[in-house]
Amino acid sequence: MTPPSTGAEARQGAVKAALAGHLARRDGPGRRLRLAAIALVVGGLYLLCWKLAQIDLVKLATGLPKLGHWLAQAWPPNLSELPVFAERMAETMAMALLGTTAAALLALPMAVLASRNITPFPQLYYPARWLLNALRGIDSFVFALLFVAAVGLGPFAGVLGIALHTWGSAAKLFADHIENAGTGPLDAVRSTGAGRGTAIVYALLPDLLPVLLSTTLFWWEFNVRASTVLGVVGAGGIGQELKNSMDLLDFSRLFTIIALILVVVTALDQLSGWLRKKLV
Amino acid sequence: MTAPLFEVRAARKSYGDRVALDGASLRVERGEMLAVLGPSGAGKTTLFRCLAGLAPLDAGAALLHGHDVAAMRGRQRRKIAVVFQQFNLVNRLSALDNVLAGRLGHVPAWRGWLRRFGRDDIRFALECLDRVGLLDHADQRADALSGGQQQRVAIARALAQQPDLIIADEPVASLDPHIGAGVMALLASICHEGEGGIAVICSLHQPEFARRYADRIVGLRHGGIVLDVAADACDEAALHQLYGGAAIPAAA
Repeated sequence: MTPPSTGAEARQGAVKAALAGHLARRDGPGRRLRLAAIALVVGGLYLLCWKLAQIDLVKLATGLPKLGHWLAQAWPPNLSELPVFAERMAETMAMALLGTTAAALLALPMAVLASRNITPFPQLYYPARWLLNALRGIDSFVFALLFVAAVGLGPFAGVLGIALHTWGSAAKLFADHIENAGTGPLDAVRSTGAGRGTAIVYALLPDLLPVLLSTTLFWWEFNVRASTVLGVVGAGGIGQELKNSMDLLDFSRLFTIIALILVVVTALDQLSGWLRKKLV
Repeated sequence: MTAPLFEVRAARKSYGDRVALDGASLRVERGEMLAVLGPSGAGKTTLFRCLAGLAPLDAGAALLHGHDVAAMRGRQRRKIAVVFQQFNLVNRLSALDNVLAGRLGHVPAWRGWLRRFGRDDIRFALECLDRVGLLDHADQRADALSGGQQQRVAIARALAQQPDLIIADEPVASLDPHIGAGVMALLASICHEGEGGIAVICSLHQPEFARRYADRIVGLRHGGIVLDVAADACDEAALHQLYGGAAIPAAA
């Protein structure tokens, strides 16, 4: 930390050497080669992905007019079946609400287990994290597919799918929030002689609750959007009607449903956003 | 008498009903180190934000070479360098790249966008790092440095700007006394040894640092200047007046 005390010439030399070193590292052949190699690898990767994804811009160019044609057929909207759609939409929202609530309740104890700083069983930390990662890695859609086979067609399979996937995702977010929260207040309350559970409830929950609730609202919002397609695999809700319309090539019906979904999802986003702002 | 290097005239600033600066005036000359003392809430931070052009004054003016700081735009601002309490380095950049930020007011914008500086700018930045004793740390990431080292890099960044004035807002408040003394000594030596004669305005919470390193001490209280003396003339009575003078009779 001492300021330079050597002679001015020696300092000039040191600066010169540092400059030469810096420029050599910046402009030297090693760096150029590395950059070229990285560019080659990344370029190759994108080329490979392009092939694997079977990107075909000609097909897009010929397909787009088809979409336009369907759009033209979509007007006027088909309002005669609106009561049916409304019932199906309500089913979708019910699935999202029940699934998210169940997931949030299940996520709380799991989040405690999966938080390094407060878990009562440190040896269960990694198993808990693995389980959450597994639940998170499998989409609601895939879970719903499995549950349709197990409990039959209908929204119940959708609720189970949403609940399992959201359980993993929400618990991980909860745990991250808990791990980020300072343990200062927890230590302080613990040192008053309070037990671990009491300390968690007394010291952590007041600060965390708004964030946890906000996270849950976010998942509910997300799940309403996600569950609009669960019907495609037979797990109930508006997705079923969506698929039927597509199968029948009934575009005015199809676009009426899409419009309904947009209206409902937008309204719920607004509601959830407003609620979350009130919470934090 | 010629115009001072830097001058604040009757600075006034309020936030809503709260008056933060109430007609504060001060001046600082080339090669002079001015310490600003005052209790918390006296308006030090507001004053410094206004001096640095980070916030506008409601009335009055801050003048560098007689030119209004508030009217300075873009590159003109390089004449006033700021050193912050929390250092404000870019964590993921190397010490050298942080110092090179001081050259951004001198070089074409594309060099900044590509972070590609010319040889002379890099040499000058390395000299600035050497000036603060950190040449060996040039390639280290800023967040790998200690607090004292980070503040030295921030001072090197200020030097790389080739400023006429360095404004340091509580530069040692986040450092331990020993490291803080080193940083203060560095600021004082930059101020006193520099060929160009850079002026330094530095706010502090430690009167002893002010008396040891500054040439002159200005006391700020309730947004006004209540003390303006040579550092060696600043005695306990003056400090008592500044920090608690008014409160004692009321409590007695």
